[in-house]
Amino acid sequence: MGKQEDRKTVTRRDVLKLAGTAAAFCTSFGFLHGSQTGGVVQDKHLQMKWKQAEIKWYKGSELLYSAPFPAKVMKHLQSDETAAVEIKLFRAGQMFRNLGTLEAKH
Amino acid sequence: MAGPHEILGMSRVLGIGTTEFLALYTDNRGTTLRSEEDGRCVFLGPSGCRVHPRRPLVCRLYPLGRSTDERGEERFALFPAQPECEAVVGRDGTIESFLKSQGVGPYLSWSRRYGELYRRMIGLLDRLDAEGELDAPADAEAPAPEKEPTRTHLSSWQDIDTSLTEYCAAKGLTPPREIDEAVALHLRAMEEWLDDLEARLGPA
Repeated sequence: MGKQEDRKTVTRRDVLKLAGTAAAFCTSFGFLHGSQTGGVVQDKHLQMKWKQAEIKWYKGSELLYSAPFPAKVMKHLQSDETAAVEIKLFRAGQMFRNLGTLEAKH
Repeated sequence: MAGPHEILGMSRVLGIGTTEFLALYTDNRGTTLRSEEDGRCVFLGPSGCRVHPRRPLVCRLYPLGRSTDERGEERFALFPAQPECEAVVGRDGTIESFLKSQGVGPYLSWSRRYGELYRRMIGLLDRLDAEGELDAPADAEAPAPEKEPTRTHLSSWQDIDTSLTEYCAAKGLTPPREIDEAVALHLRAMEEWLDDLEARLGPA
């Protein structure tokens, strides 16, 4: 059976219903497609304005201790979104491990 | 936003059908819930939410927001507290425990199932587009399309009551009364509709 005949089995009405349902789902569920990107979320809706940061010690999943970031570090991180704080372990003046970088932008 | 299963749930709380609900309480051709002029949800009354037992997923999640990437990986984010919101928000517990406390499970499951159907629809539309079907003029020899009844909504599948009445009549079934059963049958009916379209299009 030729391709032309196969195509005729899907009617314009089918196509319209399919496109309409996909469009309805796109809006009602917030689904996006392909290269579509979501709208920029307004600050007041989603972007976090964090006010407190904490350092937490765990043993497995058990929280052992929690302490807020020092005020100076907080101020630095809140100063602009390119601010960063590195966490490094030292012994006798020698760094022996770099635990990574915390960035204000998240 | 409100999916067909959420419209069904809210309509049952209000004691009306989904067709009436779509006409009375939705905008954007039945895809979003109506708001009052000041932006308040149409269901927010002096005593709170009028459809609270069957509130949609987005309301259950608040103050969390949920997104999934193209691989289906789920992420949750925290909305900042809204000054006009009277909800009590704490920071104890985990996301998992919060979702459980809000009865989110079935809503997430349904949302994922409808998401799978959406991806199938997009796959079919991509195929039709690649074959030039989406741009093709109506076949002059084809009979004129049957007139759809006048609807306010974008797709007849959004109206679960009507689509299940039609589906059950065609299959000799009794339309289910329970919401969970109705949503399950709606998903099955949509799957069969897509199966049929895919079969008619032939192998990709």
